[in-house]
Amino acid sequence: MSNSYILKRVAYGLILMLCVVVLNFLLIRLAPGDPAVVIAGEMGGATEEMLEQIREEYGLNKPILTQLAIYIGNVATGDLGESFFFNKPVAELISQRIGPTILLVIVAQILSIFLGVFLGVLAARKPNGVMSAFVSVFATIGYAVPVFWTGIMLIILFASVLPIFPVEGMQSVRLRDAPWYVQTIDVAHHLVLPAFTLAVIYLAQYARLSRASMLEVLGSDYIRTARAKGASERTVLFHHALRNAALPILTVAGLQFGNLISGALLVETVFNWPGMGRLAFDSILRRDYPTIMGVLFFASAMVVVANLLTDLSYRLADPRLRGRT
Amino acid sequence: MSALLQIENLQVTFNTRHGQVTALDSVSLSVNAGETLGVVGESGCGKSITALSVMGLIPMPPGRIAGGSIKLNGEELVGASDARLRGLRGSEVAMIFQEPMTSLNPVFSIGDQIAEAIMLHQNVSYDQAFKDAVALLDRVGIPSPDRRARDYPHQLSGGMRQRVMIAMAVSCRPKVLIADEPTTALDVTVQAQIFDLLNEIQRDFGAAIMLITHDMGAISEMADRVAVMYAGRVIEEASADQVLDTPQHPYARGLIDCIPALGKQETELREIPGVVPPLHMLGQGCAFKARCAHARPRCGTEKPLLRSHGAHPVACHGAEEGWL
Ligand SMILES: Nc1ncnc2c1ncn2[C@@H]1O[C@H](COP(=O)(O)OP(=O)(O)OP(=O)(O)O)[C@@H](O)[C@H]1O
Ligand code: SF4
Ligand SMILES: [Mg+2]
Repeated sequence: MSNSYILKRVAYGLILMLCVVVLNFLLIRLAPGDPAVVIAGEMGGATEEMLEQIREEYGLNKPILTQLAIYIGNVATGDLGESFFFNKPVAELISQRIGPTILLVIVAQILSIFLGVFLGVLAARKPNGVMSAFVSVFATIGYAVPVFWTGIMLIILFASVLPIFPVEGMQSVRLRDAPWYVQTIDVAHHLVLPAFTLAVIYLAQYARLSRASMLEVLGSDYIRTARAKGASERTVLFHHALRNAALPILTVAGLQFGNLISGALLVETVFNWPGMGRLAFDSILRRDYPTIMGVLFFASAMVVVANLLTDLSYRLADPRLRGRT
Repeated sequence: MSALLQIENLQVTFNTRHGQVTALDSVSLSVNAGETLGVVGESGCGKSITALSVMGLIPMPPGRIAGGSIKLNGEELVGASDARLRGLRGSEVAMIFQEPMTSLNPVFSIGDQIAEAIMLHQNVSYDQAFKDAVALLDRVGIPSPDRRARDYPHQLSGGMRQRVMIAMAVSCRPKVLIADEPTTALDVTVQAQIFDLLNEIQRDFGAAIMLITHDMGAISEMADRVAVMYAGRVIEEASADQVLDTPQHPYARGLIDCIPALGKQETELREIPGVVPPLHMLGQGCAFKARCAHARPRCGTEKPLLRSHGAHPVACHGAEEGWL
């Protein structure tokens, strides 16, 4: 893979981030009223002294382009402003919550891709079989049903009918001082329902997509060649076919990552998961603009990084794309 | 002595939306060790299906081997277990396909694909298999094979890819090599090179070749014996010289007449008039009757069987009763 290509993609990513920062900036200016009051937050009950401090920090008395330059400079040095509701720097608020969100999103992503692809491959083996029908029905349901419904149904099921998984939070209070492996298991235990809820919509989509993709690949000439060599059915499916069928799946996985993050926002709220989603949700209700903008900034950064990784892995997976710029 | 590959009365059917059709109707063929059998016939007459039956690669469903027998070295392949067929595929019988552009997997290097074929049947390490693959690439005339082995199919021309397919097919020294129109998709100059290569490979590796082709020129150069197929049946079988010089069946005669004479400038390619009837519309009698200038009432009611009437086996009432 050419280095210039990677550099180009990274540059695109940075430009995209810059756009997000400018958008954030405009968001404040477009909000009705004095920007200083907006930044202080309506729930903040800002004093005149505080507003003066904000005007100073954001350079609100200076020309608008200078304000933009100051804002970009602040973000570039990691200063995302201050939440006047929490009375804490936004960067600190987010750094406390980004971990759980990344954990949730990545586990959900892996869960949905692996399970979905596995179901899809099984379905593609017998396109008229029971598994195939199940995948179609499941995909439609998974696609149609909103996350919060799935979440609430799971909460009802596991809170009252079958209480084997915790339905709230990320850790048990009584295990706060337990050894690390006990805590790890505890977090994993708490992760089951939110991750599954988040995964289920995408899982169904991956199942359907990989079924279609596998069916197409299985009709190719090179699959016949693999069989003609004497390869076993499993090798044909998972080695020869899946490597090719994985290409469209990878593309979709990259595109879905953004949706997954917004999905995480809802799931975190439903399951009281202490991540960025909850923070965003609460901040929107409180009109805590600096925090909202910080969350927006980090969420877009995650999407940009995910897309970059997808792009690179796509090239790794498909030799025909290597060496192209 | 029985032949290396013996196909007897092979019957293959497909379920289609026109109902069940018979793609192969009591096809009998044999290939002896070290010999090249040419199989010719118009598109859709069942050449590939015959080859795929030997490989055990008929898609089932919709296909089904409804009867007959395929014996390799005396061992029955029809009804053999999947595991047994896998063991034979690629090691005892190997196949080169019509479509070199799409028959290699785009995401693996060609060296890896050949090495895989070797490792499936021989107990060798990956490193050894890869080395063998490089040697095979060298053998089939790929320049700088150790560098090329790391290339992916899209980096090679069609002719090169077909060479790779040949290297892969002979990697385990199969006894029978089936080449299904190996040059159809290639340039004319490359076609000659591939046939030369197949000849060399046969000399070096001693494989029997079943060569499926439309190219009567290739038949006259390569084949020892020829089977002519029409609409799922073998309609004439003889030595290459006999078929080329004294074809009996009206269809075979037509085919031979279509060969452009060497040195003569043909203004247009001659063709047998008419088309092969679709399998579900074959009906009774001889499948060639609608296109045959010699057809008589008997041809419409009774299927001609492959029999010797003096010269060599042919399936035609006219040849039998001498009215051609
Ligand atoms: N999967 C299938 N389903 C239904 N019918 C099939 C299928 N595969 C092949 N057939 C039928 O079997 C017949 C023989 O096909 P085959 O591929 O053996 O022809 P061929 O002689 O190899 O022709 P060509 O020269 O075009 O390669 C065709 O008429 C085709 O309609
Ligand atoms: S059997 Fe009759 S129709 Fe068929 S080829 Fe012979 S003469 Fe022609
Ligand atoms: Mg064919």
